[in-house]
Amino acid sequence: MSGCWAAEGNDAVKIAARILTALAALAAAIVAIGPIAWAVSTSLKRNNEIFLVPPSLIPTTVTFDHYARLFHEGVHWNFLNSALYTFAAVSSAVVLGTLAGYAFVRFEFRAKSAMLLLFMASMAIPGYALLLPTQVLFVQIGLFNTPVALPILYAAHIVPFAVWMTRAHFASVPIELEHAAAVDGYTRFEAAWRVVLPGAKPALIAASAFGFLYAWNDYITSTTMIDSPDMRTLPVALIFFQGFHGRDWGALMAGAVIATLPPVVLFLCFRRYLIGGFSEGSVKG
Amino acid sequence: MQTAKSVVFEGVAKRFGAVTAVDRVDIDVKPGQFVTLLGPSGCGKSTTLNMIAGLEQPSEGRILIGGRDVTGLPPSERDIAMVFQSYALYPHLSVFENIAFPLRARRRRTAKPELRERVTQVTAALGLDALLGRLPREISGGQRQRVALGRAMVRTPNVYLLDEPLSNLDQQLRVQMRSELKDIHQRLGATMIYVTHDQGEAMTLSDKIVVMSGGRVEQLGSPRELYDRPANVFVARFLGEPGMNLFEGRVDDGALRAAGVAIAADRVGAGRSGGLIAGIRPEDLVEAAPDKAPIAGTVRTIEFLGSRMLLRIDVGAAIVTAFMPLGARFAPRQPVGLAPASPDRVRWFDAGSGKALN
Repeated sequence: MSGCWAAEGNDAVKIAARILTALAALAAAIVAIGPIAWAVSTSLKRNNEIFLVPPSLIPTTVTFDHYARLFHEGVHWNFLNSALYTFAAVSSAVVLGTLAGYAFVRFEFRAKSAMLLLFMASMAIPGYALLLPTQVLFVQIGLFNTPVALPILYAAHIVPFAVWMTRAHFASVPIELEHAAAVDGYTRFEAAWRVVLPGAKPALIAASAFGFLYAWNDYITSTTMIDSPDMRTLPVALIFFQGFHGRDWGALMAGAVIATLPPVVLFLCFRRYLIGGFSEGSVKG
Repeated sequence: MQTAKSVVFEGVAKRFGAVTAVDRVDIDVKPGQFVTLLGPSGCGKSTTLNMIAGLEQPSEGRILIGGRDVTGLPPSERDIAMVFQSYALYPHLSVFENIAFPLRARRRRTAKPELRERVTQVTAALGLDALLGRLPREISGGQRQRVALGRAMVRTPNVYLLDEPLSNLDQQLRVQMRSELKDIHQRLGATMIYVTHDQGEAMTLSDKIVVMSGGRVEQLGSPRELYDRPANVFVARFLGEPGMNLFEGRVDDGALRAAGVAIAADRVGAGRSGGLIAGIRPEDLVEAAPDKAPIAGTVRTIEFLGSRMLLRIDVGAAIVTAFMPLGARFAPRQPVGLAPASPDRVRWFDAGSGKALN
């Protein structure tokens, strides 16, 4: 009988633990989703409703005026700038990082360990600490306020992470697979492309996602390196809606919603790989 | 359809820094032969195979396939097929795609209908028809092994290289796959070079065995030659289950003498001052009266093997093995006498060099 009591006691503890876990998850979800929901709500409200007391999450009248205003102000060009800089940075960084990650695993060369250490150490240095010297350098070499400035700096930040992620994957691929492909009639590059790379998809997507979020969300580097309004990125352009004579909260929130959409869509498309990719990088290599 | 090609090693050596993995090896494999590179771990057999494949470059010497010098050529230009110990199946490709993979290479891109036909032929021959859509992780070890073989068989290469392809299978499957391999070799008539440390596989499959040790070829010949006439004590000890019994001693009064041993050495002992080693296979020892027997000892263990018994006998400080018929009665710690079945069955070696004398 005592066994039954013990079992019932355990069940009660288990149920309580589950309820607590669910409550904690709910609280975390509210904290995470709350601001986004509020931003969406605000972006759809009319100006006179935004500061209404008591506040309401559901707008009484839905309006797209704030979105229209953004387009009227040309924010879509800033969106395009952000997209282009991010695409250029992420694609070049992932290609370079993949090649370097492969080389670190498959080739022997002088100072290999030291170089790898340098790559990894560079991830520990806060990029902002180097911003001003970098700005001075970019001014001197003529890259300041040019369309290539941001892609170069973003890529430099993403490459070590891409190396780290892909190296972990390549190290886990047995060399025999490439040998088999070589014997089957493929060149080294073809073997790596057709046999090693397909398995690296989670690592590549994880590295791309990290790079995308970093480049897409960046504000500080962009304000430091770009001066011309026509080359501004989306986060910088949106700051101007804070205005000097009171903030345009509706437009600001509409901009925030637009800026949030691409990362959310990407996450939803690739979440399976992202979770796999990050855990792979963390336990292998 | 290509014809089987020869493989020739001319003074091939491979060094990794200060370590010599393969030391000036000469091997001549005739077209259509099944040749096994046999030896313990680290003897250089896999390195030798990798050099034929082009996965390792020789430090010196030449490799010829079908009379063509391929020493500097990459693997893709040697037209060889290889089965790896780990099978090396492409994990993201189905069984069909794994087998079709060599036919999709740029240099031998095959039209779709022909590709399908060839893959189907191979998978039918290997009993893989029902698994074509599966991924390697979804099939058993034996099936993976067959897929690896199928990938080699789907084209008709100059030479098949097999690197311990059966070592990951359980005993029963290994024996089954061994006879399938033999069958495939006979059907294809292809040149096959096989690497193993399992002498049973080497003995049953090969036309010729190359016994290697420390990067050198210890002996090269047919399984029968190697078993009956080992060139040195290494081969004598390495081949056979258990290996040859070796008795080391000095010749005195026409016999090789050591603790518990007095084997007549009339043929090789005359005029010899140095040490000698007599080698006798366990099946070439017969029971003799303990007080007059050339080899006297006490029974240590008796192993029942089904058709016969294996005795382990303490002779001086050494342990001697002997097969005995089931009818014979032995008990542990019992004194026992042994003699060679005939003087011809004793193989003599020089104790200094370890080389055979007869």
